[in-house]
Amino acid sequence: MRCNYCERRCRIASGETGFCRMYTVSQGVITERFPHRWSACGTSRMEAFPFYHVFPGSRSLAIGTTSCNFRCRYCSNAYIAKEDPESQQERMYHLAPREVVAMAKKMSCRTIVFNVNEPTVSLPSLMDLAAEAKAAGIPMGCLTNGFMTAESTELMASIFSFFNVSLKGISKTFGREYIGASSLRPVLRNIERLAGIRHVEVTTPVIEGANDTEIDAIADFLGSVDPEIPWHVFRLLPEDEMRDRDYPSIEAIDAALRSARERLPYLYFHNFVGSDWVNTACPACGTVAIERFSLGCGGDKLNRVLGGEGQCPGCGRAIRLFTHSPHAGDEGAVRTWT
Amino acid sequence: MDIAIVDARGWQNTLDLETGEKASVSGPAVEIVQGVLRRHPYPGDMDRGSNRWVSDTAIDLIEAYNPRFVFLTYAAQYFAGRYVPMTGEERSRMIADAFLEAQRFVDRTGFAAIAVGTGNMTPRKGAIDATAIDGLAICTHWSTRYAGLYDPSPADLALLRSHPHIESIVPREEVMTLFGGTPGQAARVPQYLMLAREGYTFKTAGVLMKTPVMIPSVNSAIPLYAPGRTVEAITGIRAILEEELAEKNVALIFMEGVGCDEFAWPFTPCRNGTRWWHYEPSEAQYLTISSGRHRFLDYPTGYKDFEEEDASKLYPFSGYFKAIPEDTFGSHFPGRSISVGNKSMFMHMVAGADISIECFARNLYNQGTMAVIHRQDKI
Ligand code: SF4
Repeated sequence: MRCNYCERRCRIASGETGFCRMYTVSQGVITERFPHRWSACGTSRMEAFPFYHVFPGSRSLAIGTTSCNFRCRYCSNAYIAKEDPESQQERMYHLAPREVVAMAKKMSCRTIVFNVNEPTVSLPSLMDLAAEAKAAGIPMGCLTNGFMTAESTELMASIFSFFNVSLKGISKTFGREYIGASSLRPVLRNIERLAGIRHVEVTTPVIEGANDTEIDAIADFLGSVDPEIPWHVFRLLPEDEMRDRDYPSIEAIDAALRSARERLPYLYFHNFVGSDWVNTACPACGTVAIERFSLGCGGDKLNRVLGGEGQCPGCGRAIRLFTHSPHAGDEGAVRTWT
Repeated sequence: MDIAIVDARGWQNTLDLETGEKASVSGPAVEIVQGVLRRHPYPGDMDRGSNRWVSDTAIDLIEAYNPRFVFLTYAAQYFAGRYVPMTGEERSRMIADAFLEAQRFVDRTGFAAIAVGTGNMTPRKGAIDATAIDGLAICTHWSTRYAGLYDPSPADLALLRSHPHIESIVPREEVMTLFGGTPGQAARVPQYLMLAREGYTFKTAGVLMKTPVMIPSVNSAIPLYAPGRTVEAITGIRAILEEELAEKNVALIFMEGVGCDEFAWPFTPCRNGTRWWHYEPSEAQYLTISSGRHRFLDYPTGYKDFEEEDASKLYPFSGYFKAIPEDTFGSHFPGRSISVGNKSMFMHMVAGADISIECFARNLYNQGTMAVIHRQDKI
């Protein structure tokens, strides 16, 4: 049987598993192996994920599961994303959707964000959770590698109100050598689709000598989709199989971003302490509208929002912000897989 | 102004420690620190060279600043022992290496060492799942033995009190009776403090997925190396420092994750807490040693630290610290002082030394190094 959750479209025999080891075939149906088991369940600031344009400064319940459908050579969560998920189950939180939502409420979280690994490998659990969260008025967001099928993209758009899609590169060579994916075109397709219907931010970790030459091509692509997409360019920390590499040069990446900055007003460069490129400036007049501070690796924080929320303090122009209830302007139902 | 100099490898920034804003400051202390940071990139918490980095950095800083008091933490064996399964022989070798590194520092600098092991480690036997309760349980600061409990239902209390791996559940009032403190401090203390039996950890919201293989034992006593001297409890170590410093240069050395069972130098045990409370290797333990009085209440284990994490929080580089703690040893010592360590980003708060250099790592992700200059006026 074929699994159609992501573009690997694994063929799975009864009782076997696909590439991510998170689905099997049971009674002729693709089935999640470890439903409602979570590798994380704790609070985080919105800026730390990063979401710079979603409920600034708010607290979120950060959740995740295990495994991934990519095999990036520089994974920062390899101990969760690459290990056999079966071996990790004893350590997981066993929480029903009602209990996850209750946890979010007890800790006064404005949103729930799936951020540890790839949500595509746990979609049935996330559908259940979204139904419960939606009933409680809690919007959900996620970090994703964007490699899901078009059908899954629609499903995820019914689950999540906001996305941060990791666009790691564009070329076939980069996808093959660093990600273990034959093509990254589906990611581009899904960004285009999601940007039309949901709040989307994009993150690109830059590795010198690997994808730094693709910065302009990525910027062109994002500009063609929506020039106001917030784009987070990360200085990659040498981790996992690439831990012996040098730390990328901040000056060199900054220089490579110069032309992109002219086209994309919400371009940020961070993932290192004290970054100078984490504030939001008005696309029209350049006045700083939101000030942040970067502590590197998952430690960014809001300093202050200047002027009215979602408005430039200089000229009054709208600053893009997602501050809605779940799926504002949409019928709101979580789709079911067909 | 207290200055933070952060070195993210090839990217150095000078900032105001309190606000995180960029600061334009110069002077001999700043120049010394910038040079030392540039010469000593941090190899990472789990790297074999991590403890060597502590000695090398401290030696370099001593040559430039010429302090009389040095506060050092060697923590590589704590991180590795916590997460990497190893045989007894491998563990012994690792701890012996840590002591060799401390000895190299002492031999090279001639400082008189006073050394503390922060406590034995023990294999983790299992977890106490306190997630699916009506109330809220919280573990903080890498704590494994203690957790805070808020708004428990009668059913929660009955369930947790009968749990075979929970030693006791102490109400806030009893905690306050033990430590004293102000009503303001009481507000931060959890409604109940839960104590796990040795070898068990709490599993609550916010616990990291990286499950430890070894956790701190219930250490009622920890080892103190202070030739010719003994103290009854860790609160007495400060007095020894004061007396020794009257005659010689002194290095207070913390050997993280090493207790009376494995301490390589001759030692006397000293009490590591008060009544039922025993410190885990933590900021509270350091602060207690540094200030000479119990400091559980400053940031009590199991408090709702996430509620204080808003845009208005000061000291962004100092974890959950919201202010510079009072009465630290370094802040009272009139001579020059430094601290260097690879435990985490709180040395500059607990030691109170004129200059601190520490690794800038978040949950073992190596971001670089940070120095804090509290005093520029002693040069
Ligand atoms: S979600 Fe997993 S099993 Fe399904 S196609 Fe992708 S990698 Fe294969």
